Amino acid sequence: MGSLLSQIWTVIVMNIRSLPKRLWMSLAAVFAVSVVVAVLLSFLAMANGFEQTLAGTGSEKIGIISRKGSRSELNSTVSRDNINILATAPGIARDADNNPVYSAELYVIVNGIKRTTQTEVNLPLRGISLGGFELRDTVEIVAGRQFEPGRNELIVGQGVLAEFDGFELGREVRFGKTTWKVVGVFSTGGSAFESELWADALTVQTQFQRGTTFQTMRVLLEEPGNIEGIKQLAEDDPRMNLDVETEAAYFAEQGSALRGIVVFGWGLSIVMALGALAGALNTMYTSVASRGTEIATLRAIGFSNMSAFFGTLAESIVLSIIGGIVGALVSYLFLDGVTASTLGASFSQVVFDFQMSPQLFKNGIILALIIGLVGGVFPAWRAARLPVTLAFKNSM
Amino acid sequence: MSSLYLVFKNLTRSKLRLFLTLFATFIAFMVYGTLTAFQMALNAGVELSADDRLIVVNKIHFTQSLPISHFNKVKSVEGVDAVTHLNWFGGYYQDPQKLFTMMAVDPESFLDVYDDYVLTPAEAEAWLKNRQGLIAGESVARTFGWKVGDRIPINSNIFSQRDGSTVWDFDVVAIYRGKDEQSDSNSVYFHYKYFNETQSFGGNFIGWMGVRTTSPDKNEQVVNAIDDLFANTPAETDTMPEVAFNKAFIEQIGNIGLILTSVVVAAFFIILVIVGNSMVLSIRERTNEIGVMKTLGFTSPAIFRMVLAESVAIAMIGGLLGLLAARGLIHLISNAPIQLPPLIMDGTSVFKAILIMLALGLITGIVPAVNALRLNIVTALSRS
Repeated sequence: MGSLLSQIWTVIVMNIRSLPKRLWMSLAAVFAVSVVVAVLLSFLAMANGFEQTLAGTGSEKIGIISRKGSRSELNSTVSRDNINILATAPGIARDADNNPVYSAELYVIVNGIKRTTQTEVNLPLRGISLGGFELRDTVEIVAGRQFEPGRNELIVGQGVLAEFDGFELGREVRFGKTTWKVVGVFSTGGSAFESELWADALTVQTQFQRGTTFQTMRVLLEEPGNIEGIKQLAEDDPRMNLDVETEAAYFAEQGSALRGIVVFGWGLSIVMALGALAGALNTMYTSVASRGTEIATLRAIGFSNMSAFFGTLAESIVLSIIGGIVGALVSYLFLDGVTASTLGASFSQVVFDFQMSPQLFKNGIILALIIGLVGGVFPAWRAARLPVTLAFKNSM
Repeated sequence: MSSLYLVFKNLTRSKLRLFLTLFATFIAFMVYGTLTAFQMALNAGVELSADDRLIVVNKIHFTQSLPISHFNKVKSVEGVDAVTHLNWFGGYYQDPQKLFTMMAVDPESFLDVYDDYVLTPAEAEAWLKNRQGLIAGESVARTFGWKVGDRIPINSNIFSQRDGSTVWDFDVVAIYRGKDEQSDSNSVYFHYKYFNETQSFGGNFIGWMGVRTTSPDKNEQVVNAIDDLFANTPAETDTMPEVAFNKAFIEQIGNIGLILTSVVVAAFFIILVIVGNSMVLSIRERTNEIGVMKTLGFTSPAIFRMVLAESVAIAMIGGLLGLLAARGLIHLISNAPIQLPPLIMDGTSVFKAILIMLALGLITGIVPAVNALRLNIVTALSRS
């Protein structure tokens, strides 16, 4: 047994060391696999980045109340009356003066210009009260200052500054007939809120003719994740037709919007992997053919056909794993951290980064490994069955 | 004739290799055909925009509404042939995840401005008469299994009725087809009056307007006239050609065109390398034979052409089979109960594909063909 293993090992080392002789064919196989893996990882990194951004946006400590079935802040409406009732609900944290901590918010869409294409895009303008800052402990003003309630002033997220034109600090912006001034830039640690413009809720309400309605109510939870008290109150009151969920759950659902991309990416990569598989098979059959005499000679001097089998299989796997690593590295170098933006569930731009992860890397390598295994096993079978007599034939 | 036979013989010399190279080519063109159909579907909104149609939206943003009085004022603007108004309803049927385009419209003027929807006069008549009637596109009707005569409940994720319910009942009075193969048939239209009387937000606002001008030359004049008309009113407007609006909307999603093109290029690169390499190899294996052929009197250019013919044949056969498969795939996807814009493969994309096949065939064949051309008989025969 030990000798069989050492035989196999010898043949594997021999095959790998003779790879340069079959350089171009081997490179073709490596290249095909690397392209397939790079395509797969690009799609996965895109969906992953989007999902991570939205997952990082929602907090377990915050409850979000919206109109039943609205599914996005844009579609929701909540009346002032409902907000006043809900503010008394059990389970809402209270500040030093024993007032419940909550924020009634508005969410309207305005035009921005996407920097890369210079085209108009939908940007969310969030009307927020100072309570909204108490809720979100990750908000930090990184330049300029906070807006003053009652004035047409905006603060903009860092993501907006990076991706869109027209909202630089100090700039005056017109929304229809009203003029607003950008007075500050905020950061929320990379979450989707950074794709937003923020202004005083009551000012937005008047300037956008929203009467006394808001779109969502956010509350600070006494106990993270526990929304039962508020839910109970909302359900027991027939005047209310509202959904209550944690902000984390709300954004997690929005983050799944690019799931389709994952399915599409996998489908496409698997189809392309079949093409790469044809390349791998071609390479390996050629390799077996060119090593025919060598394999037969080894058999003649006592090597088992198992060694020919595993030698060939190993060669194929090594090639495809190199391809997989190259593909993964290329997509990592060129795409990881690249910023993009797309239309999210709230009908407005969400800025996110392509994000590679060890899990995605593993997926890429597994795909490469499968190509290598399938692409190696048939040629290996042929190698194992090569007649020993081939060694004694004089090749012309 | 005889050289064609030789090409055929050379091609089928190693059946396994032929199969593998054909298969790689097949996959690449299948990917090309399918993704091109997706790309065309995405651009269809832009391609099919009528050049005599304009869109009038609120200047702040198109999600902000306009007062209905704007509609009557636009009617009398010079150069306006017809005008209609639309409201986004946010409709979904049973599953809130499966949103579709559903709009409250004024049916008469809607059919007047948007002539892309094919309805028989009887169907149009039935819709006009039934205030709770809706017309649904073929695709959305197929997705949800709606038939003419069905009474269906549809939810809105934005609006509610006065009693707080978010469900409206509708009669399916007609299922329309698009005028063009690529026209959208994923949308549902119903009466604005039904919407306006029942929803609880307070009425008389509209989402945006569609305008047909008397002639595309008048577009600019009409755009200015409408925007001037509402300048300095609480709801200023932004009027633009339909094509500009649709284009901007598609671009919001991101550069999908670039993504799809990159994937197709990647797929072609794979086969370029695989097929190119195996061509080089198969000609090298035949070095001896080529020497013999040259000895027999085949001219070098003839051999050069035969090698190229071989590589072009592989690209063409694999490519055409791939396109055929893409067509089948597109058919399958189009008939699946999922909401997608209509996918088609048109003459232009087939023509482009054939050009790419030719180019691929020539590129993969050129190196071995030149090698064969230059091959000296003595070296060829002495190399074994």
